[in-house]
Amino acid sequence: MNRCDQARRLFDAYWDDEVTQAEREWLEGHFTGCEGCRQAYEQYTRTLEAVGSLPRIDVARDLPERALLAARRAQVAPDRVAAEPATPRWVPMTAAAALVVVVAVLLLPTITPWVLGTRGSLQAVRSGAEPPVSQPRLLATAAPAPAGVQPPATLADSLFDHSADVEFILDPVVLHRGRAQAVGNLPNGVQAEQTVISF
Amino acid sequence: MAPDRDPLPPILSLSDEDLMGRVAEDDDRAFTELVRRFQGRVGNLISRVLNDRENTDDLAQEVFVRVFVHRRNYRRGSKFSTWVFTIAANLAKNEIRRRVRRRNWFSLDALTEVFSDSLPQLADSTESREAGLEREQLQGAVARAIATVPEKYRLALVLRDIEGLAYEEIAEVLGLPGGTVRSRINRARGMLQRKLQPLLRKQDAHESM
Repeated sequence: MNRCDQARRLFDAYWDDEVTQAEREWLEGHFTGCEGCRQAYEQYTRTLEAVGSLPRIDVARDLPERALLAARRAQVAPDRVAAEPATPRWVPMTAAAALVVVVAVLLLPTITPWVLGTRGSLQAVRSGAEPPVSQPRLLATAAPAPAGVQPPATLADSLFDHSADVEFILDPVVLHRGRAQAVGNLPNGVQAEQTVISF
Repeated sequence: MAPDRDPLPPILSLSDEDLMGRVAEDDDRAFTELVRRFQGRVGNLISRVLNDRENTDDLAQEVFVRVFVHRRNYRRGSKFSTWVFTIAANLAKNEIRRRVRRRNWFSLDALTEVFSDSLPQLADSTESREAGLEREQLQGAVARAIATVPEKYRLALVLRDIEGLAYEEIAEVLGLPGGTVRSRINRARGMLQRKLQPLLRKQDAHESM
């Protein structure tokens, strides 16, 4: 850094009277030998003097009274922004939704038959009796077979009796039970067999 | 019989900090006295930072309303002037930003334009023989030049070179380290000097004729 740069770096502190005695002496010595820095400092001081000499702005004489009135109004005026409730807004909404769900669950068995028009079911529901449902019958019990007794030659492929089941094989040749009706409403030109099976 | 004497000291003899202590206890007289003491400095700060004389009263009033509203937040023992300047500086900053956002009559571009327009006018005015008018023109140009300095530098500049606050107090008002304050003031002065140099040279030339 040359001496002029060093001098100009001290302008602020010199103006603010924050230089050390040694810095002051060095800068003032530099000014006597450097016309450029001396003129630059003069410009600097002219600028700051112009800023500092700006007239003070007068405010209204009755500002203290006006400010007091405004301050009192500001004290009593309610907030323009609605205050946050003590409990967050989602709490009552969630509670209401939960209540609706609970009531709906409790009333569902009562309402459903009426809606569906099945009063008998309502009676059953009220009496606690369930509608008869055919249950598969066990072919063999869990008890072990007595010693020496041979198991049947043909074993059912399941523990349950499937005799009441409808048996059908999706084969156009073998169809043991059920009804098969051949239909021939295929579009012209299509060669295929179509069968409708109902049971 | 001895006359009744006010047990409290006269309000005028109280320090700013003591007055503020009374304001915190809802003493209206203490509040109006504080406003009276600081209204000039606060008004000047706001006016110079915003370069807006017209709204100075309202903005200064707003500063004192905030002082009153937040009176119980004032920390006893701290300097009142620092506190009130902090409130005023924050209000001025917010006002600058609000105006720039709204693209009101005030914007840096607009101000630059106004300032550049003012130079020829000022050059013409230097030819005038009216020294008072010349001075007013110069002051107007300086005020507008200050308003063109970016906000963060401008506040520090006005607090230092117009209000005469110490660097340490400015650091406290702006909530900045001392080094940052010095750097900002240095930059603001440099900007201002560059803006005003042609004007001041012309004035010098005119005066030497």
